[in-house]
Amino acid sequence: MRVQFWGVRGAVPTPSIEYLRYGGNTCCTAVSGAQGELVVLDAGTGFCQLGDALVSGPFGQGQGEMVLLLSHTHLDHILGFPFPGMIHCPGNLFHIYGPDSTRGSLTAVCNGLLSPAYSPVYSLENISARQAFHTINTQPFQAGGLTIRAWPFPHGEHMSIWAYRITEGDHSLVYITDVRYTSEQIRTDAIALFADADLLIHSAPYMRDESVQNHSHCCVEDAIDLAQAAGVRSLMLFHHAPGRTDDQIDTLLAHYRTLLAQQQSPLHLEAAREGPVIEV
Amino acid sequence: MNIRIWGTRGSYPVARAEMMRYGGNTTCVEVRVGDTCILLDAGSGLRLLGESLMQEPDPPDHLQLLITHTHWDHILGFPFFAPIYSPRTALSIYGLQRTQSTLRTTIDNALSDPLLPIGLDSLSASLDFFEINHDVSFELGPDVYITSARTNHPYRALGYRIESPTGILTFVPDTGPFHTILFGDEFLVWKGKPPHLHAGQLRTLERMRRAMINLAAGSDWLLYDSQFTEAQYAQFPHWGHGTPGQAMEIAAAAGVRELLLFHHDPHRTDVEIDAITAVQQALAPPGLRVRAAYEGMVLYREEQP
Ligand SMILES: [Zn+2]
Ligand SMILES: [Zn+2]
Ligand SMILES: [Zn+2]
Repeated sequence: MRVQFWGVRGAVPTPSIEYLRYGGNTCCTAVSGAQGELVVLDAGTGFCQLGDALVSGPFGQGQGEMVLLLSHTHLDHILGFPFPGMIHCPGNLFHIYGPDSTRGSLTAVCNGLLSPAYSPVYSLENISARQAFHTINTQPFQAGGLTIRAWPFPHGEHMSIWAYRITEGDHSLVYITDVRYTSEQIRTDAIALFADADLLIHSAPYMRDESVQNHSHCCVEDAIDLAQAAGVRSLMLFHHAPGRTDDQIDTLLAHYRTLLAQQQSPLHLEAAREGPVIEV
Repeated sequence: MNIRIWGTRGSYPVARAEMMRYGGNTTCVEVRVGDTCILLDAGSGLRLLGESLMQEPDPPDHLQLLITHTHWDHILGFPFFAPIYSPRTALSIYGLQRTQSTLRTTIDNALSDPLLPIGLDSLSASLDFFEINHDVSFELGPDVYITSARTNHPYRALGYRIESPTGILTFVPDTGPFHTILFGDEFLVWKGKPPHLHAGQLRTLERMRRAMINLAAGSDWLLYDSQFTEAQYAQFPHWGHGTPGQAMEIAAAAGVRELLLFHHDPHRTDVEIDAITAVQQALAPPGLRVRAAYEGMVLYREEQP
């Protein structure tokens, strides 16, 4: 599989010069399989940048097909959905998986996002591409040669997020963002989902000793502990806090790499960055 | 009147190196007249404006936010505006009165589950909502007058004029031209060519065009929708945006001193905006200055000699 980040920022885009090395667009990650399968994780504003890149291929001719997996429907994970030209191009096909919410089904939430007060699109029915919506559950399913397994985790008190494990042959990656580990059982679930993954993409907007009180997110230490417990090879910190500049991410990364080296941990640590293609 | 531009982009924020000169944050402008502090739109630029306000030694306690409409690119910054989490802040929010929903509910829903985990009730600032119509005028602060007009945009939007003895700013971030299509509250099904306009609709468009020229009349600065190239407009007139040429027509008819191209397309690079601006500068009638608005731009009336 090949992985490319199109948006790595959490909460809100940060289009300023000191954020561009890691990137200032909100969450969107593309995974492509050996047979040309395309699985996209979340549709923050990075989804618009991905759309621009895809337009030179089948998506520009109405022959594109993708699986879009939504972790949850907070704006930084779906705001980019209605904008790219590929969404408004008849013939393209989007299989969209995500959770229903307490306020309504996934399609109702997307219709709310597009409603006339907020968007000139008004509703999903004005989107020309074909959309097949699926409420996510824990049954594994296929996207071509890729096997996808999803699992729910808490994100604050009222909200769940879904994490996704994508497997091709002997290789696996896990994508989990906006999670908060609230019990031992939930940590156990996480370790089971992450087990022996080649790559774990994990939100980690805060460091444990930062003064920011946050009830919806975990910290970098949680991600590292669980990755180590699950025997993950490479951990990719994701969903960077909007105040975190490139230089601060460098510093943060160096700090935790030093700690891992002191522990002689085999875990490889990176911070997600827009642009480069990663082979899994 | 002192103006600072915090967001110039339309549709959605873009973080790309080749756009950083004009900026990737969506629409937000700060206007100070004496002690009156006005914020025009709450696009993603509002986050940076909030950080800047929090760093002022003596920040204004009362902020007045004028919202043109509630498309995401005009409200996205609101939940990330630090002053709304401070009990010191009093914020008055103005926007279009609608039958479909109150302004408060529209903003509250945008901030609430499942889109965001916040909600208006959790905010520490005291908020007041004022629903206004188009074609109204009122005094916002000492010697600061606001006038509104309807722009030609899906679901209707407002343009604002801010007038004080030290300057006149007109703010029209989102509008199509006043021909081809008349936008209302209903979705316009686009079948590849404009729908037929009957005489009543043509009269409405002409009234709106004249009201827009009146709104901008004699402005020192006109910030105006220039999202589309001519080719884009020909293809997508149903999205409710205009071209720099259409902006220039209104600016020239209104006797504006300076036209600032605004609401840049999210695909437009700095180099492209430079070129588009140069074309309009060459076409501008005498006495009309043309520039493209950029993030960080500061505007104030030069002292007359
Ligand atoms: Zn979230
Ligand atoms: Zn807009
Ligand atoms: Zn708009």
